[in-house]
Amino acid sequence: MTVADLNTQTGAEQPQRLQLHRLIRQPRVAVGGAILLMMILAALLAPWVAPHDPLEQDLLQMLAPPVWAQGGSATFPLGTDSLGRCVLSRVIYGARVALIVGIMSALGAMLIGSALALIGGYFGGRIDRAISYVVDLWMSFPPVVLSLILLVGVGTGVDKVILAVVLVDWTRFCRVVRADVLITRRRDYVLAARLIGFTHLRTLLREVLPAAVPLIITLFSIEMGVAIIVEATLSFIGLSVPPDVTTWGQMLADARGDIQSALWVMLVPVCAIIVTVLGCNLLGDGLRVALDPRLRLRGE
Amino acid sequence: MLSITDLTLTAQAGDHSVDVLRGISLSVGRGKVLGLVGESGAGKSMIGRLVAGHMPPGFAVSRGQVMFDGADLLALTAHQRRLLLGRRIAFIPQEPLSSLNPVMTIGQTFGEHLMLLGLDAGKRGESMVEQLASVHLPSPREMLRRYPHELSGGQCQRVLIAMAFASNPALLIADEPTTALDVVSQTHILALLEEQQRLHRTAVMLITHDLRLAAHVCDDIAVLYAGEQVEHGPAREVLGRPRHPYTRALHAANPDVHGKQRVLPSLAGQMPGVSALASIPGCRFAARCPARDLGCERRPQSLRECSAGHWVRCAPGCEENSDRPERSAQQDATESWQTPAGERNAPALVVLEDVTLRYTARLGIFGQRRIHGYAVKQVSLSIQPGEFVGIVGESGSGKSSVARLIVGAAAPTSGRILIEGKERKREDAAVFRLSRELVQMIFQDPHSALNPRRSVYRLLTQAYELDHVPGSIERKPRYDRGNQLLKDVGLPADCLERFPAQLSGGQKQRVNIGRALCVMPRLLVADEIVSGLDVSVQAQILNLLLELGKRQGVALLLISHDLSVVRYLCSRVIVMQSGSVVEEGKTDEVFANPQHAYTQLLLRSVPPADPETVWPSKGLSLDERVTGGNLSIS
Repeated sequence: MTVADLNTQTGAEQPQRLQLHRLIRQPRVAVGGAILLMMILAALLAPWVAPHDPLEQDLLQMLAPPVWAQGGSATFPLGTDSLGRCVLSRVIYGARVALIVGIMSALGAMLIGSALALIGGYFGGRIDRAISYVVDLWMSFPPVVLSLILLVGVGTGVDKVILAVVLVDWTRFCRVVRADVLITRRRDYVLAARLIGFTHLRTLLREVLPAAVPLIITLFSIEMGVAIIVEATLSFIGLSVPPDVTTWGQMLADARGDIQSALWVMLVPVCAIIVTVLGCNLLGDGLRVALDPRLRLRGE
Repeated sequence: MLSITDLTLTAQAGDHSVDVLRGISLSVGRGKVLGLVGESGAGKSMIGRLVAGHMPPGFAVSRGQVMFDGADLLALTAHQRRLLLGRRIAFIPQEPLSSLNPVMTIGQTFGEHLMLLGLDAGKRGESMVEQLASVHLPSPREMLRRYPHELSGGQCQRVLIAMAFASNPALLIADEPTTALDVVSQTHILALLEEQQRLHRTAVMLITHDLRLAAHVCDDIAVLYAGEQVEHGPAREVLGRPRHPYTRALHAANPDVHGKQRVLPSLAGQMPGVSALASIPGCRFAARCPARDLGCERRPQSLRECSAGHWVRCAPGCEENSDRPERSAQQDATESWQTPAGERNAPALVVLEDVTLRYTARLGIFGQRRIHGYAVKQVSLSIQPGEFVGIVGESGSGKSSVARLIVGAAAPTSGRILIEGKERKREDAAVFRLSRELVQMIFQDPHSALNPRRSVYRLLTQAYELDHVPGSIERKPRYDRGNQLLKDVGLPADCLERFPAQLSGGQKQRVNIGRALCVMPRLLVADEIVSGLDVSVQAQILNLLLELGKRQGVALLLISHDLSVVRYLCSRVIVMQSGSVVEEGKTDEVFANPQHAYTQLLLRSVPPADPETVWPSKGLSLDERVTGGNLSIS
């Protein structure tokens, strides 16, 4: 008989119907979700939102300061870079690559990692040991070196970057989800489903997977942030995309030379990366609290 | 030594406050044992925490006094209270294993305790050996070097008792000290507690859910219900002539090990939760009371002395017929009542022939050392259609492994399992399917056995999600079956769309039973299904099983450590020890005239219903029983 019991008794609610409502009530989910939604909208509507073409050069307006600084003009709200390209337009177009890489590679890592985790954690024994050995071996490679080798081998391009991130980061999903599956598998309801006559596949999908879904969603949003950073790093060293595609990492690389005279050209993509990754992490952290019934009880 | 007067404990929940404990008055003198009896949620542990000063946040004493040896406990500062705890007031916790630090040896833990008591470092070792020897632990010197996980639950509890008595406390609070232990260890621990308590002339407050156990061990008993003290008096009298309707119901809901069989009367409903208490104006038991009237529903009853030293919180008229035990009436009415014996001549439903289950543990870095153990050793048994069979034994006796073998969750190392005469083999899918349709399992822990993400409807009719079950596509047959099952297990109709988190323990166990019934099996295997439930809920579930046996002719294999439950339900009983069957026969005959020494020991360990019988029996050896472990290195 503690206060926590009081809560469980009065707050006996249906877990599924109220979930969406509860999610939005979490401030971290709301803020993180809003940031990501804004980024996605900007990326989708880039041709209409952006004032200029991201590759259009205006050599008369090189390194123009942003609109609020002395000498700035409303034509280039965030100024221009060393080739006279509009920084605002480039940041907006850069969000396209960042989000595509973020979402696709998180999705790929999630599918591969979770599937292997479910199989290994559920069946146990030799299958589990084999998968765990592969994960351990895989994780012992330095991730940056691994992705560099991959990209040098298969060439550059957005799809290659996605492939590199998936191949490096599926292990993260596999490790964490497997631990969750191991706990669920020991619950009696999994055995009960087997005794009723459920096949292994049905038991996995109907009984084991639903318990791991909140964790997988949380990992997904965190993985998005990681993938965005990896993409920025790779395009910074020029291994990500062809030069005619704008990315945040490329903007950083271009702005490197003028860091003394025109700091804003560097700061804008840095802020874009920070805000987007922060949005992903906030969303992931908020989802973790909102979807975990134990943390929820304590939080409210 | 300790006296509590007119205590009210109030909890703040949101913007309203609830009296979690109301009008508690207790006292326990030097050398006396007071039993606090009640079901879970009655507030009995809260009294223990109050004395210890471990109150959860939001709880505060709003009225009354707690005096310990002339000092007001509630007025003490934290520092003064710390000086008392562990020295003059000692505790014995419920979970002995989790109360000892797993990374410290017994000697380190004990030594630290003695250091806090102010004993010189040089004297500690000798003192520890002396104390451990006094609780009848074998080779105490060696025990000091062991870690908690190397000891059994009973041994851990002995260590904790030794530590509790090391300071020669004036008051000992024991919170369910034997609940986590086997029946046999329970008897030993209680006898030991009694011996130590006499020796040190300690006042003991024993918190327990078992009325009979309390009646035999305690001098006085206080019965709690929903934070109210409903009855209080000398132990023998409370058990022999219970006055309050709740005490009577609690007493009657316990099945007996000896004497005539009777149908257990069970109270409808359950104890109100803390948040519901605020909305009950009168007696908190009124909603479930068979003798309630408008008066007691509206205003609280006061404690009233009905005979010398025997207090009851009920209206004067209620106890009139309490001198004539009301259960005799029910006993007469059900003279012909008997446990389902099944069809003797029909072919057996399930047969185990010389079944052995061996397990292998690998030790060493490369798993090069192998240890073999037997969970089940050459067990043969058969179950007839419609028959209720019980398996009893302590934990580790292999009874749960037998259940896993029968339902097919484990495959035997050797021996045969026959389902309706057909041998079930690993490769024979048809017999496996037959076995799943005939044999279903009810799990021990309803909390773990019900997927929290499924509604009651989807849990009960889970079998309809199989492809080969007719009606798996259309919704109508499944829905009808769900409603039918809901009725069969006695759940209200509005439960169908609820989730397990919204059900009480007893309701969850009903859903658990209902799911097993969905495919209309002919044998239910029930593994300890009532051990986690309160006595009054246990009676409801037991009666439900009996009714299902009578109405649907389903057979039951009940696995339990509780002999009274087995006697109540089963016509045949199998006693297991260390993986082998040591005795088998008709329940009445085995219980009346046990042949094997182990069966006799088990039967002696059950607290009898008659308050005059001396229990634990005086001749009991206090030494830790030496069991042959079932691990053998080959």
